[in-house]
Amino acid sequence: MEHPDRPWTAFYRAGARVEITTPAYRNLADLIGSVTASYGRAPAFTCCLPNGMNGTLSFAQVDAMSDAMAAYLRDVAGLKMGDRVAVQMPNCLSFPIAAFGVFKAGCVLVNVNPLYTAEEMARQFEDARPHALIIMDMFADKLPQATAGHPIPNVIITRVAEFLPAMPRGIVGLVQKYWDKSVKRIDTPHIRLPAALAAGRARIAADKIAVAAYHQEVAGDDVAVLQYTGGTTGVSKGAMLTHANLILNMEQTMELIEGVENGVEKGREVALTALPLYHIFAFTVNLLGFYWLGARNILIPNPRPLSNLKRAFENYKITWMSGVNTLFNGLTNEIWFRDSPPKHLKFASAGGMALQTSVAETWERITGAPVIQGYGLTETSPVLTFEPLGKARAGSIGVPVPSTEIICLDEVGNPVPQGQPGEIAARGPQIMKGYWEKPEETAKTMRGDWFLTGDIGVMDPDGYVRIVDRKKDMILVSGFNVYPNEVEDVLAAHPGVLEAAVIGVPDTEAGEAVKAYIVASDPGLKADALRAYCKEHLTGYKVPKLFEFRDELPKSNVGKILRKDLRAEALADIAAE
Amino acid sequence: MVDEFTQTLLGIMVAIIMLGMGASLTPRDFYLALKRPYGLGIGVISQYGIMPLLGFMMAVFLVVPEPIAIGILIMACMPGGTTSNIFTYFSKGNLALSVLMTVTSTVTGVILIPIILLLYASALDLDIPREDIVRVLIVLLVPVAIGMGLRKLNANVGAVIEFCGALLALFFIAFIMVTWVPQNWQFLLNTTPATYVAAIGLGLVGITLGYLFATALKLHPRNARTVALETGIQNGPLAIAIIVFTFPPDQQQAIMAVPALYSLFIVIVSTLVTLFFRRANTAAEQKMPDSLL
Repeated sequence: MEHPDRPWTAFYRAGARVEITTPAYRNLADLIGSVTASYGRAPAFTCCLPNGMNGTLSFAQVDAMSDAMAAYLRDVAGLKMGDRVAVQMPNCLSFPIAAFGVFKAGCVLVNVNPLYTAEEMARQFEDARPHALIIMDMFADKLPQATAGHPIPNVIITRVAEFLPAMPRGIVGLVQKYWDKSVKRIDTPHIRLPAALAAGRARIAADKIAVAAYHQEVAGDDVAVLQYTGGTTGVSKGAMLTHANLILNMEQTMELIEGVENGVEKGREVALTALPLYHIFAFTVNLLGFYWLGARNILIPNPRPLSNLKRAFENYKITWMSGVNTLFNGLTNEIWFRDSPPKHLKFASAGGMALQTSVAETWERITGAPVIQGYGLTETSPVLTFEPLGKARAGSIGVPVPSTEIICLDEVGNPVPQGQPGEIAARGPQIMKGYWEKPEETAKTMRGDWFLTGDIGVMDPDGYVRIVDRKKDMILVSGFNVYPNEVEDVLAAHPGVLEAAVIGVPDTEAGEAVKAYIVASDPGLKADALRAYCKEHLTGYKVPKLFEFRDELPKSNVGKILRKDLRAEALADIAAE
Repeated sequence: MVDEFTQTLLGIMVAIIMLGMGASLTPRDFYLALKRPYGLGIGVISQYGIMPLLGFMMAVFLVVPEPIAIGILIMACMPGGTTSNIFTYFSKGNLALSVLMTVTSTVTGVILIPIILLLYASALDLDIPREDIVRVLIVLLVPVAIGMGLRKLNANVGAVIEFCGALLALFFIAFIMVTWVPQNWQFLLNTTPATYVAAIGLGLVGITLGYLFATALKLHPRNARTVALETGIQNGPLAIAIIVFTFPPDQQQAIMAVPALYSLFIVIVSTLVTLFFRRANTAAEQKMPDSLL
């Protein structure tokens, strides 16, 4: 399966490297260290709360604090190289400290969605078996249930206003405790993040520990992150992303947007991070990419409602931001955003879900800056393709990034003729090492060194790719994968449900919405009751938006529920409206 | 009524609250409100068009003695009060527009109030104390400007001041209700139902009409809420000052009844309206999927 040549490299900026196969740093810890040397006292991260209260850490502070984090993990908590550390928090100043600390400790980071239910957390903890967990206090009440099957020996608790100046930190703390009561009592034995850092710092001072020694042995091929995804089958599994995967993917992406007209410049950008850092898109592009670039990163803990972003846009001269279609669409519908669009914005990057052409056009009309789309998956660190700046093509996901090859395959795995739709397969240095402890799952999704994406695409002769369909039943709700199996399992467990089938239907807000077809055994069963039930067992984005009650579901002759028939029906209904 | 000490205390509180409100604003908010003076124009029209007409109708149709009728008319012709800014803030309205509307109606009031009174009360000759007008503007604008400046200087200082200002504003609203009622218990008992209807109706109907008017002219809900509150909430203390200035002491008490009663009930009415507006605002918010974020 050799690809003839790569015509798309003609769209790269002048002077861009066509091949990026050797990472510029040995591992992520080295990358973090080298950035600090260049930018030192410049602001690296600013956490901006909805009311404008904020806190900032400089590159030097992030470096020193993540050193202390590493020392705590290795020398106080007693973790070893390669041990897993779960990090479960929304965007806040603690996130980079935790993540970078884990890398410096030579440990493996396990990103956990903070909105997970205790059941979902338990499944991930049982699979990853983390030795330590750094979690935000707001979510710690789920720990007793979530760690019942797999106790985590070291729990470190942080909070959303961590590292903010004392006054705003105190106010936020009081509001969380007494007003919105978002922080509940924590019964799990734990240490607070500042105390853990103090302990780590003390250890460094007392024993003259060289943090560099922790990650001396860590090579590019070693796993840096276990990034969980439902993958092709919906079985939750950790994609093993190596240090080289992440560094290279960051370089592959930055190569095309840095040093080009209206592109980003080292040490001059203010990036808005409204997408969650635990998601691979923001993790690689915002956290790693813009840190490497020496940018000031404005972290938004919770962008919902969108008015939470108003103060960040007013108080900082945002030059770049990343988002998903839902976010861009939402912002362009906010009156305050339309009235005062960010003046300094150079461009925005979209990923996670298909960017609608109309949304991209409205965005550009309002802000005067383009939004360019990228494509990729958790398993690909994530970026595979990116629209070259200034050369966007409507409806396309752009061209492959350097050293990345894309081909479209037919049902039996042969490349389709040029211009024909086929399953997108990708090859490049950003493809994961495999799924954590699931070689059979890895085998299913790899063909040689080609990764099968499950997306059906078409490639133009010059290399621009368009997505036309998806092979899997997976539903993509504003950038998050929802697997029908998982939702159906939950629904089927309800005593009033006889059978359930779940499909994705087009949705103007989220790209796709989860729709459930229910055959009820209890004639009194109502959609609201089912929705409330689902909310107890599933993260919000997995909860079906639409319920339809049926007398029976279409099935194949072996009794398998035919989701594709339901999908065709739903699409026909929408077309008829 | 309220004693001098309370009056001064309230004044200081308002100044501090406005400092906090100012810290929620940027110069651009004012620039935008001025750049599209449509909303501002609608505000002035509803302020001096709707309210005096409403007051006139009430004075005519409610059977009240003449001093009360004069009180209703004066109250109806007043410019917007500072309290409107506070309630606009809590209603998630357009605070910059609200401040500008208060300023505009206060400044133009110097000329417009006599003209309107000429129209409805065949030249009821009022003395409008200029220094009170100036004081209104200073108490409003100086803290707002300082608040904006502090925020620009340091976003955290701004956010903390805003937070404290909002807390004080809640206290201020509660304070007015709690202190006013016991001090004026006898007055409340002696007031006739018609006077109550006028004092409560002026604010409530004014807010409603202002909202309908602004909505009919297709203002954004955020601006419509602002115009509504600005229209219905009048400057009560200014009305009282004008009455003291204009009328002999023996007449003052009766004429003041409506403005005094209004000043209490507008706080109650506005609080309820604000709760309603906040709910409407939340309902109209775009639903973002749980995790996309």
